[in-house]
Amino acid sequence: MIQKWKNHAEAYLFVTPSVILTVTLGIYPILWALRYMFYDYKGYGEAKFAGLYNIKRLFRDDYLWDAIWNTFVFASGKMILTLPVALLLAVLLNGKLRGRNLLRGIYFMPTIFSTAVMAVVFYLIFNSYNGLLNQILNMIGLPAVEWLNMQNAMLTCIIIAAWGGIGNYMLLFLAGLQGIPKDVYESAELDGATGARRFWSITIPMLGPVLNIIMMLAIMSALESYEAIMVLTGGGPSGATEVMHLYLYKLLFPVSTGETMAQDIGYGSAVAMLLALIVGVITGLYLYLSRKLNDIYS
Amino acid sequence: MKKGLKRSLTLLAAVTLAFGIAGCAGGSNSGNTSTGNETGANNAAETKGNGEKTKLVYWTYQRHDAEYIKAKIDEFNSTNQDNIEVEMTMMAENYPQSLDLAFASDQAPDVFAAQRPNEFYAKGYFEPLNDYMTDDLKAKFEGFILEGGNQFDGNIISLPNVGNTIRLVYNVDMFEKAGLQPPKSLDEMVAAAKKITEIGKADGIYGWSLPYKSPSSALGRSAEKIAEMNGFHRSGFDFKTAKYDFTGWKPIIEAFRQMSADGSVLPGSEALDMDPMRAQFAEGKIGMYISYSTEPGVYNTQFPAKIRWDATLVPTIDGGEPQGAVDPAAITWLSMSSESKNKEAAWKFMTYMYQDEVLRGYHEAGLGISVLPHVLEGAKEPSVPGIKSFLPTKYDAAWPIAPSGVTPEGKTWHEEFVKYILVGGDLDQVISDLNASYNAALDKAVADGKVKVTADPSFDPKALQK
Repeated sequence: MIQKWKNHAEAYLFVTPSVILTVTLGIYPILWALRYMFYDYKGYGEAKFAGLYNIKRLFRDDYLWDAIWNTFVFASGKMILTLPVALLLAVLLNGKLRGRNLLRGIYFMPTIFSTAVMAVVFYLIFNSYNGLLNQILNMIGLPAVEWLNMQNAMLTCIIIAAWGGIGNYMLLFLAGLQGIPKDVYESAELDGATGARRFWSITIPMLGPVLNIIMMLAIMSALESYEAIMVLTGGGPSGATEVMHLYLYKLLFPVSTGETMAQDIGYGSAVAMLLALIVGVITGLYLYLSRKLNDIYS
Repeated sequence: MKKGLKRSLTLLAAVTLAFGIAGCAGGSNSGNTSTGNETGANNAAETKGNGEKTKLVYWTYQRHDAEYIKAKIDEFNSTNQDNIEVEMTMMAENYPQSLDLAFASDQAPDVFAAQRPNEFYAKGYFEPLNDYMTDDLKAKFEGFILEGGNQFDGNIISLPNVGNTIRLVYNVDMFEKAGLQPPKSLDEMVAAAKKITEIGKADGIYGWSLPYKSPSSALGRSAEKIAEMNGFHRSGFDFKTAKYDFTGWKPIIEAFRQMSADGSVLPGSEALDMDPMRAQFAEGKIGMYISYSTEPGVYNTQFPAKIRWDATLVPTIDGGEPQGAVDPAAITWLSMSSESKNKEAAWKFMTYMYQDEVLRGYHEAGLGISVLPHVLEGAKEPSVPGIKSFLPTKYDAAWPIAPSGVTPEGKTWHEEFVKYILVGGDLDQVISDLNASYNAALDKAVADGKVKVTADPSFDPKALQK
């Protein structure tokens, strides 16, 4: 037994740091939150056992359910806008296009920018009163649009999120496209298949496994993203862009002194568990369905 | 791979990891501005050997007065006879969180600007000042020690310095152009906003704005102050019944809604922060808004105003005599850390900062409006242009301390009212729901023993006026 340990000592040594980090930064906080969701704890003073109070509160918290609904709207909008455009760009930039490497770099660039900084820049663009976009609209004789009001703020957030995500997914699609053997396309071409036919009959089916992973990543990232919204609208106006992780963030870390939401670690832990459950169930459901579809079509 | 190479790589990885962990455990750099002579990692005060300086660390979140405070600290450092040296650290953002971290990691400052007194008292951050205060100091601050404000369970945790008065700030040029006087009633305010918008809209000028992006910022500086002026406490708490009741706020919120419905509000106000809004006012694009006595400083330094502007008392509901007073909320300033290792030295520094000359200089520099009679006595008028209209009147007076830590489930009144102001709805229902949710939270806090309330049927908000 000791000899076996000795034989694998180096492997254990290499694995140890990540195990320590996973336990301390991943598993311990989850266990901590699991415990505190049953407590009335505001971040200071004594944590008082509250039984199922926080769990029951989840079901009567309209603000939370509004935020969950907003998250679905945001995530759906972001994915509907991001994935087709990313795929289209990837297909175009996978072809023999002049300057394609430069274009790939340009399209990927938003991914490396700080989300918070870009949100500030986009504020200058979408700002209703003297934003760049409205000035351009006025110049060409079109009326100004209140991009960040109750009706349009969510759409604006979706556009910005899509802008930030397209480059990343384009790169993943490109990797997938480059894995498709060229001779398949050549055979199809010899058989007289048009570009569109090749796209639907070869590219999409052969991208299947990559598409599965991209979809899963897109779902998770869209459901969990809140940073740009926090900087751009702060969840407003009047909760119109409050997504569920922003709501959670405010409950756990009410950063500014003017924040109306008070810190509530106990209830925040319950919300965190619910949100993890929602993201987990949706992702799991997607994986299950995609496997079923794979089984049917393979 | 050869065994020797494997071992070397293993050793290298272990050493890197050890250094990495050691690096992580080292001093923190919070990215904040330290204005003292040293910017060392350890913020805790240190007392050195015989004849060496006693070093104190002072933390503040206030930036507008940094120059004045730094000068006073330099003066203290060079003149005190006790060999005390104070290092001021101005925290960039997230001050409460930085304090939490500092206390959790045994690096708490010795003296710090008080914030969230209720919460920080519960966390045990404050050193009670009762035993340090001399009789003279006690006499000077008599009437300014408020249980639940700067005193908890009889423990004084801080003393006040200045407060902020609230005024309706208006664009004199636009009011003159429209032939208007500053509004005295809510109806006049709504009508003025409408008229200014009518004559100014072509030039991009609108009658009214508030930073609705943050409901608490927008209504905290406006609606709740109008409410206080009309005899309703800013928290919604009714001292007569010891219950929350927002019913009296109805005409105020309706007036705000009417300005939105009339199209008198600067487009994009829903997404505006305070500073961008001020920038628009300085450009002459906003007819009026309501804000604190910090505005003169802003328009003299931060956003030099291109228009003539002035300020006046916030309107009353019917334009008549105010039925209450607006609380300048002068409650806390400096506090001593319960974990300071040099409490005597920290108190000497605090005594220096609370002396009349320093507080008077603060007031005269227009950094805040002093509410302390012994400071105002003989004080010159603050030097900042525009501050005159913000000087205290009889309608700027302190309220009793309302229960704190009463947090309703769901949305706060700020959020509910801003939603109504922006999109409309059934205000009676909104108020009824707010009353229910706040009173449920109050009942729970009382039942848990976190809050004590007593009804005072004889409470008269008008009697608060000085």
